[in-house]
Amino acid sequence: MNSKCQTRGLLAGVFVIATLTAIPLFAHHGGTSLYDMSKQVTVNGTVTEFLWINPHVEITVDAHDEKGLLRHWLFEESSPPVLVNHGWNRKSLAAGDAIKVTFNPSRKGTYVGRMVKLIKADGTELK
Amino acid sequence: MRKRFWQAAFCVLGLAAFVSGCSKEAKKPNSVPDLSGIWLGKPIQSLSLSDPMAARPGTEGDIPYTPWALQQMKAERPATGPNATFENTTDPALKYADPDGYPRASIHPMRFKIVQTPAAVYQLWEYDKSWREISLNKPHSQVPDISWFGESVGKWEGDTLVVDSIGFKDSTWLDPIGHPHTENLHMIERIQRVDPETLVFDFAFDDPKAYTKPWSGQLTFKLQTDGIMTENIYTISDELKFRQRFLNEKPSIPIRTGQQ
Repeated sequence: MNSKCQTRGLLAGVFVIATLTAIPLFAHHGGTSLYDMSKQVTVNGTVTEFLWINPHVEITVDAHDEKGLLRHWLFEESSPPVLVNHGWNRKSLAAGDAIKVTFNPSRKGTYVGRMVKLIKADGTELK
Repeated sequence: MRKRFWQAAFCVLGLAAFVSGCSKEAKKPNSVPDLSGIWLGKPIQSLSLSDPMAARPGTEGDIPYTPWALQQMKAERPATGPNATFENTTDPALKYADPDGYPRASIHPMRFKIVQTPAAVYQLWEYDKSWREISLNKPHSQVPDISWFGESVGKWEGDTLVVDSIGFKDSTWLDPIGHPHTENLHMIERIQRVDPETLVFDFAFDDPKAYTKPWSGQLTFKLQTDGIMTENIYTISDELKFRQRFLNEKPSIPIRTGQQ
């Protein structure tokens, strides 16, 4: 498989994989009012921005939807001090990284989500 | 000669007193439990012992609301619980980026450090880089200030640190679900290191305008690996920027630009 195909493979596909009981671990932002915690969606895409900021870490990802249209996603993670305890740091991601991200989708149907976990191209999993 | 003798005697006595004083000081930390360390609590949303995840705020059964407090609970719009709303929340910590105050500061899913001295116990939170002093063996001020974290004095009763706190600003919530209090809140905490890895805070909240009788809460913390404390200072500019990006809301006031 050539690199173009690999890239397209990484960028392809959006699918709902599971339902979960909502556990508002961080009600501070987002939480149940912004995101549908009963659903999880997974997207393969490329990081365009990784912001290690307060109140919550933000990750923007470009990914193609099932129709091949490029979508610009914005994901909310927890706060830097919480993520540090889970093995993250401000260099955990960089623009250009290929990732598979699983998230609770926006209740409004916009391209934002609350991140549940992500897997980098080298198999590293971050939650 | 006689003068020299008395000078030498005073020196010896002074040195003995100094050493004796030092010795007593050195023993103090060993005579009471050591609470120091970095601690992390369980993720809860309510201080109700019967409803820690805030599934039924206002009807928990273990919180003796006055009509005033129940009205407050119904009027507020927290960002958690069954009717959570983030966009229109009245949570002062979100709406105004106010300090959490106490005990809410300890409910954040972030760590705090306890630094213990013979004269005081300090809690240092990562969130908002805030801190609280528990002065030991001292009375309250005659006219305590009204403050976000209140005024706390404590004393050791056996292996338990008993803390008496007053002077809380009434605009804070006790917890994320919005349990209210007045400036007359009188809070007693009993803090115990029940095992090497576990710290338990038992609370008694006495606030006659808000609650018909004192009620109890409890927070439990687990010891964390000693390491470098991080920082999570949350500003109104951060909040408005978040809303701009996630909700497409136009900031109502100028906000800081740039990524950080």
